[in-house]
Amino acid sequence: MLKDIISQYRGGFSLHTELRAQQNTSRRVAVLAGEIVANSRTDVGGVSARVYKNGVYGFASGADYTDENVRNVLEAAERNAVFMDSRVGKGEKAFPSVERGEYRMKLDVNDVEQRHYVEFVRALDARIAERYPGLVSRRVVASSDSMEKLLVVADGFDSYSLMPRSYIYVTLTVPDKLGGTVELYEVMGGRGWFTDIFKDPAALDEKVDALYTRLMQKADGVYADAGVKDVVMHPNLAGMLAHEAVGHTVEADLVLGGSVAGPMLGRQVASELVTMVDFANTLHDGSPAPLPVYVDDEGTPASDEVLIKDGILTGYMNNRESAERFGMTPHGNARAYLFSDEPLIRMRNTGIIPGKSKLEDMIAAIDDGYYLVETGNGQADTTGEFMFGINLGYEIKHGKIGRAIRDTTISGVAFDMLKTVDMLSDDNVWLSSGFCGKKQPMPVGMGGPAIKCRVNIGGR
Amino acid sequence: MNKREIAEYTLDKLMKSGAEGASVGVSQGSTDELNIDGGEFSLMRTLFNSGLSMKAIVGGRKGNAAINRLDRESIDAAIENCIAAAKSGKPDSAERIAPGVGEHSFEDGPQQPDTALLYDRMREYIEDVRKDYPLIMLEQVIAQFDHEESLYMNTNGTVFNSIGGEYGIEAMFSAHDGERSSSFCGFGASMYDLDRRIIDMDLHRNTLEGAVKSLATRSFGDKMVGRVIFTPGCLAGFLSSIIGNFMSDSVIIDGTSPWKNRIGEQVASEGLCVSTIPLDPRIVCGERFSGGFVSENMDYIKDGVLKGFAIGDYASLKTGFARAANQSMNLWVKPGEKSLEEIVSGIGRGLIIDRFSGGDPAQNGDFSGVAKNSFLIENGKITDAVSETMISGNLVELMQSLAAVSRETACDGQSVLPWAAFDGVTISGK
Repeated sequence: MLKDIISQYRGGFSLHTELRAQQNTSRRVAVLAGEIVANSRTDVGGVSARVYKNGVYGFASGADYTDENVRNVLEAAERNAVFMDSRVGKGEKAFPSVERGEYRMKLDVNDVEQRHYVEFVRALDARIAERYPGLVSRRVVASSDSMEKLLVVADGFDSYSLMPRSYIYVTLTVPDKLGGTVELYEVMGGRGWFTDIFKDPAALDEKVDALYTRLMQKADGVYADAGVKDVVMHPNLAGMLAHEAVGHTVEADLVLGGSVAGPMLGRQVASELVTMVDFANTLHDGSPAPLPVYVDDEGTPASDEVLIKDGILTGYMNNRESAERFGMTPHGNARAYLFSDEPLIRMRNTGIIPGKSKLEDMIAAIDDGYYLVETGNGQADTTGEFMFGINLGYEIKHGKIGRAIRDTTISGVAFDMLKTVDMLSDDNVWLSSGFCGKKQPMPVGMGGPAIKCRVNIGGR
Repeated sequence: MNKREIAEYTLDKLMKSGAEGASVGVSQGSTDELNIDGGEFSLMRTLFNSGLSMKAIVGGRKGNAAINRLDRESIDAAIENCIAAAKSGKPDSAERIAPGVGEHSFEDGPQQPDTALLYDRMREYIEDVRKDYPLIMLEQVIAQFDHEESLYMNTNGTVFNSIGGEYGIEAMFSAHDGERSSSFCGFGASMYDLDRRIIDMDLHRNTLEGAVKSLATRSFGDKMVGRVIFTPGCLAGFLSSIIGNFMSDSVIIDGTSPWKNRIGEQVASEGLCVSTIPLDPRIVCGERFSGGFVSENMDYIKDGVLKGFAIGDYASLKTGFARAANQSMNLWVKPGEKSLEEIVSGIGRGLIIDRFSGGDPAQNGDFSGVAKNSFLIENGKITDAVSETMISGNLVELMQSLAAVSRETACDGQSVLPWAAFDGVTISGK
């Protein structure tokens, strides 16, 4: 646990300053075709300071967690802020004060030895090898990371937080009917320490069985027919849609950079069925968010940001500077990944609120289209055009699920596509294994219900 | 302790802890960075960087650990973790420490930044863009100088010292006219000096002009299978996918690469030569060593024939295929005879694609995604930007469908690539 050697420097802040000590850990074991191909532990930590002066920031960081280095980092950050102010001369005023206080997360560190990862992965791999002898290849990866932060700010909440995540990735490969191979993967796990989540490899059998069944369907799959189609997106895709299609366009720094959402505030951008929220720490139904944030890295207490309410664009995600520009209230979206990273406007747990429909009724409502089940990577654009890869999907013919389809990609323009949403399921799925990329990586949660809409699908 | 003392201490302690072989990398350096957001200066950063990575073999089992603090307590903890990781593993005869090759030193680029000049170049860049391309919004620009001193040492007697310094710029921008907006466009370059205006660097004006032209788009129209031209930046992305899907460690080890048995065979059109060239003088701070081996340039594909895989020492020993001579992605494709204009003039209807935004290609090479910042080619001329256009195909087939390579190339300090035209790509508009 991080020892507090930074609070003592608050009294010396001459400008608006954030001082942060941070430790990130990463543990990884990968077994490919029965061989251990990765077996590593990484620890990265240090201290950083960011200083605001008249509209510009200075930042500095260093790895040593010593009094001498804290002083060096503070001095370098202030020197950079003064340099920028002297050259740029924006002359902007100080931020309005935010509520002051202190938040301390209560969670013990449980960073177990590497053998726990190795033993679990090898046992799971052996079970898979025995249960599915027809595999061309198999890969089992245990991966966990944690982010521990101690924050002292000139104005706002001081905080201590600790966020561990642990996951098992299983990727299976089988021959396909075209003489090649197809693969599919499943991610299991969530927030927490590895041995708290993964106790018995046999407990994952059910999920691996389901993965194998879907993979065999995919091996017999067909190419999607390219074009604009009616689709039902499984809840697994809803979060990606919320994150990529809408979330990035309403990050206030991207709005300032010319995002399509700029002129759309207060306008109808989606079907009235759609309400989208960037949750801080507690979901709409009162359950914990997958990756809760209580205080951001500018010292702003975190609360929910409603992005779309009944189809109307209602808000942006802000840091303190952008909130001041837009006349909005910051809700705690300024987050940094490593100690050496400055806080950027980031999503936290972004999702669509469930509707009232049943999944089977949504599928039955499509005569000729697709049921899209698993996604891989995604990308957004300032225009609102998004794409994400589809790793598993099925044809829908006359209201019934048909053949599986091979890997493809879907795309659309967010504020056009969201107007085509005419059914949302009454359940939802939340995921947390992903990293969002935006100068820095960042763990984010995403979720939502099944969605019936129209999108452009790639294929042959 | 200095870097050499840290390396010697770490190797000694790993061996005394039971390793039969070990390697260590120590680095120290700094980053000076200026940020522009929404067209305005926003931030200046100074990072004091350090790192220590180690590998140990204990009873034929490998362990790795990495940290960024160089105090003795942190180093001792990392050594303990590394040894514990190795002991928890499984013996594998393909694990080893690279053979000894003696001591080598490398030095590239300036060792100190000219921060005031970097600032002035950025201010000039903002003004140039405002004056020449008033519809362009610079969403984010990151300009930095990186300096790193690193040392690699292993228990077989290899010592590599390297010192490197380089400037880099990454810009993301889009064009805006009222509520109309282009897609975001990117520009990036690495360089040893700041002698040139940023706006005049290779291809930058092309991408700025392309963004402005993309404010007005039209549909590609009916689906067709035809010829597309990839710009150098887009070609780099496709080549990276091909290397990852068909030539990298994991797909060669598990045998799922469609090219696993194709060394020495024709896998691409005869005109295609693909190499990695970290030692080329046009490459900025190219890789000098990797995995305990001195880096050399390498041909992956020569005249369409597959010459080798992009695999490291472990995958090489595991499979019997030769280790790649470098691990860089400093790509080079041999230029062709025709000019880009001549290649375009031979296309009746097709696309020139600047950026591909797609899902990760499937294991067999199937790909699909959105053609971004792309323009119609009609009757031998580049005409309008296209909207919501998807392309799809297969990477194995694509490599065998090369129609032409331009004689012009673009260099961003990391790769030297031409424009390349391929047939057989499915194009579908909305």
